[in-house]
Parts: sequence; structure tokens; C-alpha cells
Amino acid sequence: MKWVKRSFLSILSVVLLAGLLVACTDDEGSSDDDGNWTGTITIWDGPRWPDEDDNKYHWLEAKAAEYEEENEGIEIEIVQVPWAEMGDKLGVSIAGQSWPDIAPVDISGSAVSIDHIEQGVIESVDDLFTDEELDDFYENSLEAYTFNDQLYGIPNSITVHSMLLNLDLFEEQGVEPPADGKWTWDEFLNTAQELTFDRDGDGETDVYGFSTYILEGYYEAWPFFYKDGGQPLSDDLSEFTFNSPEAVKAIQDLADLKHEHDAAPETLGGNDVGGTFQAWANEEQRTVAMQPWATWAIQSAQSEYPTNFMVAEYPIGERSEHVTIGGVGGWIMFSQDSDGKREAVGDFMKYLSTTEEQYTMATEYGIFPARKSSADMDPYAENEQMARAQEMTSDVVMLPRHPEWKKIDEIIQGKLQTVFNGEKTAQEAMDEAQELVNDLLE
Amino acid sequence: MEGNKTLASTTVSNRDLKPPNKPIYQMKRNIWKEMKKNYSSYLFLLPKLVLFSLFIAFPVVWALVLSFQEYRVNGSIFIGLDNYISVFKSEAFMIALKNTALFTAVTVPFNIISALVVASLIFPLGKISQNFFRSAFYLPTVTSMVIIAMVWRWMYNYDFGLFNHILGWFGIESINWLGQSSTALWALIIMQCLIPFGVGIIMYLASMGAISNTLYEAATIDGAGAIKKWFYITIPLLKPTTLYLVLLSTIGSFQVFTQIIMMTGGGPDNATETLVHLIYKTGFRDFEFGLAAAQSVVLFLIILVFSVIQFRMLRHDE
Repeated sequence: MKWVKRSFLSILSVVLLAGLLVACTDDEGSSDDDGNWTGTITIWDGPRWPDEDDNKYHWLEAKAAEYEEENEGIEIEIVQVPWAEMGDKLGVSIAGQSWPDIAPVDISGSAVSIDHIEQGVIESVDDLFTDEELDDFYENSLEAYTFNDQLYGIPNSITVHSMLLNLDLFEEQGVEPPADGKWTWDEFLNTAQELTFDRDGDGETDVYGFSTYILEGYYEAWPFFYKDGGQPLSDDLSEFTFNSPEAVKAIQDLADLKHEHDAAPETLGGNDVGGTFQAWANEEQRTVAMQPWATWAIQSAQSEYPTNFMVAEYPIGERSEHVTIGGVGGWIMFSQDSDGKREAVGDFMKYLSTTEEQYTMATEYGIFPARKSSADMDPYAENEQMARAQEMTSDVVMLPRHPEWKKIDEIIQGKLQTVFNGEKTAQEAMDEAQELVNDLLE
Repeated sequence: MEGNKTLASTTVSNRDLKPPNKPIYQMKRNIWKEMKKNYSSYLFLLPKLVLFSLFIAFPVVWALVLSFQEYRVNGSIFIGLDNYISVFKSEAFMIALKNTALFTAVTVPFNIISALVVASLIFPLGKISQNFFRSAFYLPTVTSMVIIAMVWRWMYNYDFGLFNHILGWFGIESINWLGQSSTALWALIIMQCLIPFGVGIIMYLASMGAISNTLYEAATIDGAGAIKKWFYITIPLLKPTTLYLVLLSTIGSFQVFTQIIMMTGGGPDNATETLVHLIYKTGFRDFEFGLAAAQSVVLFLIILVFSVIQFRMLRHDE
């Protein structure tokens, strides 16, 4: 019995020691005699476009292999993370201080935020580019990653929201779509009403002109709220301004598509993202003629749900210029302990963000490049709808970059839901939101 | 009389059964002695104990410590009771508490009573029928709540959901079940009530089997009908099971989460926000782990208080 006890204790000790050693191992690497850093760079990425073997990480694997070959002693470790889990996993990794070296992050609405920059979790990449190099990036894409005049990420892509119009339904009702996809609010309202119809004559509406949803973290409906000059927070982020007359009017206008004009279904302003898209794109439904969506929906309507559609701008109101909400995706570098590694990580990030790589991403993965030179290569020359959406990237306004934005967003979207379900007017809801948001802004 | 006297004198009171008071050092020595004597048993317990300590005990203690800190990546700061003050000042927490309390107050009694009634109806059936119903009512318990929530989300769908379809037969206008503040929480409560409480039914059936038939026979001789027997024999003798089930389902109801995240996300406008969903958001959306820990501790205390009250009330005349 004694030997059993001894063996058990020995094995337990070895396991615990091994665990301790593994836990204490750092991957900071080392520098050789020439001062070149050697070691492992860990990068997280989500699935992108597939190769012939259906490998959706082949692009990054190829770039990593190329980089390793050019830089002896540097190893790139790729961690595959599904996009749906990226935010949560990054959040948990930050909380546990076990972050990767590089990750793809849309800093405006993800687990990584301005707050983390303030806490020193994210490295500045200001010294990676010369001013001339920075001129090649769209200004709004750089703004998204700039905090206290420092750049905290390399913009890789810009996403936009645009209106998708089902042309079959336009044709069925004999309605002309807007010329060049540009229109005023009144024209949009008329079109939505004309596209609302009872197909089979049973007295019930079969197709509605317009629909969208309202949900925390989603902004498809929001460009409508900007149409008359409204915006959620003042420019200096000190005041809630979505209860201004111009914002309230715009919110009520959109809600009244359902409440007053019957041009939108009861589900307008609900929280069912998938159901809303299916109502527009699924051949078996097609019960809504116009919906606003982010870029992914264009590709989906070109492939998974083949639809005869056009891309249009959001209607213009008192503001008299088109505005859409967008996001910027890019690579960010997490806090590094050694200067050598910081330099190597930055170099690899740059390697992934060249004009050619952003062009490849655009043509293969369907993003809008953040580099002007990549956009100039005309990646969507043969894709009319994507090309039209790409034109809107210059009209993109970013969401307010307040450290408490997620909480502010939750309050606003919650109150917006009550406007769209008819429980409150836009004025009442936004006044209530003001009280709650101002507490966070103080 | 003599017999009674003898009986009384030989009755041992609870007080007499208490072990004699021993100095603590002696008790400690006894524990070590005991452990040494049975070390092989403790060795077998060790793996489970290590896992329990690592994944249950340590996180619980750590959450308590965290609740007095402001969590920051580069080092947390001790802030005393500030997180607890924030919890009680928070309107969101109060809304979540109110919603959770309402959810619990309706679903727990409904589930317990329905489980008792269903078990009582199944119990007299033959073996084959009993097994069939036992399995049928237990099935939802082994089904993932994610799947159940998805199905119910479809049933509540405004355009083509089952409920609105049924309302349509009677000429009643469709209801935006999950989209209206006035109906969303009740929609979730109805869902919870209509999912059979499988564990409760199985436990009641097992407990009913343990009730002696002679009691029912005696009651029959005394002229008691089925309902009287149910009220005066079955229900009182099932009290320990009821106590266990009430505690179990109260704790479960206070921790309602999956339905919320799958069906409403706490909306519209916080109408279905519950405590655990709020804690999840505070921790993993806002990354305010100190505040989330304080909310968890408060939830723990609420559950503890409710459990003690229920325990005392239901155990009163045992």
C-alpha cells in the first residue's frame, strides 16, 4: 500500500510542477547578437474566404509562412477564433491578462475599447508609419483608431450600412427605384407606401415597403436618425443630444412608417435580426421591399440568397447630405513587455496591411479597403452593388467613442424599442434616455 | 402507569445525545488522527477536493474579494463597499430584481403545484402507462434550454408563430409577444410554466411510492374520499419532497438566464432583464468584474435568505 501512496504523491508532484512551469513560461523571446528579436508572435483571426480545401485561414497561414521565411527565428502562431466568439474571447483574455500579440478588432464596437487604451492594454502603433504612409489611409478609418493623437491600430477595412432594394417588388408594383440610389425622405416615404400592397386581394397586406430592427450593438436604423442633423451625443461627448428636435423628428418619422403610414410591418423595430433579413432576402418570404443592412448582406444577396436588388443611399432629410454609420476593422497590438518584440509584432502587422493585401481582402473577402491605394485598384470593378456601397465609405460617420458607449447604446436602443412598439413617443423615450445617459456622461 | 414511568425514564432526550464538550486542541488532534487512520479514503477524495477547491471554492472566495475592488487590467484597487452601494443605487439592478422576483413568484408555485398534480394523476396508472408519462414529462429536462428557447421564440413569432395563429382563429389580433414591454416578461413566464417540471414529477412519484398504503386504507375505512386523502395524507407526507423542490426551483428561477439571452436579450427596454443576465452583462460586456462580483454576492444573499425562510416555513411542523 505504501508504494501506491508514494507513486501517487510522486505523480501528483510531477504534474503540479509541470503545470507550474507551463504557467510560468513566457513567450517574450530573446534578441540575438545583432539585436534582432526571435520568438513567437501569437495572432488571433477569424475565418475568411475558403481555399479549395475549404480552409478559411489559408490567407493568414500563407502570410505567416512567408514572414517566417523572411525573418529567421520568428515563429507566427495562429489561433483560429470564430468571429461570433471573438469579442467574448478577447474580453476574457484581457481580463485574465493572457491576450494575444495581434488581433483583428473593430475598436468602435467590440470587446476592446477606448477604456483598454487608457488601461495600457493596447500598444500605440504611431511609430509604424510615416506621415506620407498615413496619407494613404482614409481619414475616418484613422480617426477610429486614434486616441489622444496616438494611433492604436492599423485600419484594414471600412464597413458601411446601405439600403438594399428588392427590384422585383419595385417592378411588380411599377415603382421606379431612386436614380443613382439617391433620394429625399419624402421620396422614400412615397416609395415605401407604394410598395406596401395586398398581393392576393384577401384584405391583408402581403408586402411592406420597409422594415428594420432595433437592437443593442446594431445600427442599421441609425442613419435615418441622423437625416435631419441629429446625433446621439454632442461633439465633445458631454451631452446627450438624441432628444434634440431634429433627432426626435427623425426617429418619429421612421417609427411612423408603421404607426401612421402602415408602410412597415408590426415587427419594425423588433429585435429579430435573422427574421428581418429573411423577410427581405428569402425567396419563400420576400415580404419587405427595402431594408438597410451592413455590407455582408450584399454578398449574401449575391450568393446565398440570390436576389435582384440594388444598393441605395439612406434618404436625405434636413441635413441635405447623405450620412451612413460605419465601422472600421483593423489589426491591433496588445501590450508588449519587450521593445524587440514590439518592433517585430508591428512589422508583421504592417506586413498584413499593405496595399496589395487590402486589395486581396477586398476582392476575396468582400471588405472595403481602408487604404486609398487599394481602393484605387478598383476591387469591385465587376461588382456593381459592392462598388456602389464602396462609394459610400466617404459618407461614413463613426459612433461616438465614449468609454461608456456600450451602456449608453443599451439605454438608447432600449428606449428606441419603446418608440417602435408604440409604447412611447420619440420625445418621451429620448427624454427618458437623456436622464439615464447623462448620469454616464458625468 | 408503571410502564409509562419506565418509558419516560428511559427516553433519551436530544440534549443527552450531544457529544461531551472537548477542548478544541483535542478535537483537532482527533481529526488528524482520524485522517491519518483513513488516509487511503482521503486520497481517493483528493482529486475531487482539488477540483472543487480550484473551480468552486476558490472562484467563490475570489468573487467575494473582487466585490470590494474596482477591477482594472493593470491592477485592481480596493474600494470598500462602493460596488455594493452602486448595486443598490442602480436602477437596472432594481428592475432586474423586480423582474426576477415576479418570474420566481409565478413560476415556482405553478411548477410545484403542476408537478404534484401531474404526479398524482400518473401514480395510480399501470406500470407501462406510468413509465410512458414519466419519460414524456422528463424529456424537456434533458433537452437543452437553448433548443427549447428557439422553439418558443418561433411560437411567439409575430408573423407566423403558433400563438398568433391560434389567436387568429378566434379573430383576435396578433400580439407582439416578445416585442412589447407589457407582454415580454409574461411571455417568458408562460413559457417557463408550460415546460413540464420533469424533476419534480419524478421526485413526487418516487415519494408517493414510499407512502404506506395502510394510511389510505385506514382513511377509506373512516370514509375519506380521494380528494380528502390527497389533501390530508398525500400532501402532508410529501412535504420533505416539496421543501426540496421549492428550494431547487427557487434557486433555478433566481438564476434564469438562457431563455433571456436567447429570446429577448433583456429587452425591450429592460422589460425582461433578470439578475443573472445583468451580472453577465456587467462582467462580460462592460468588464466591470468588481461590480459584477458585488451583484453576484447580493444575489447569493437573496437566494440564501429566501432558502432559509422557505426551509423554516416548510419544515415547521416536521
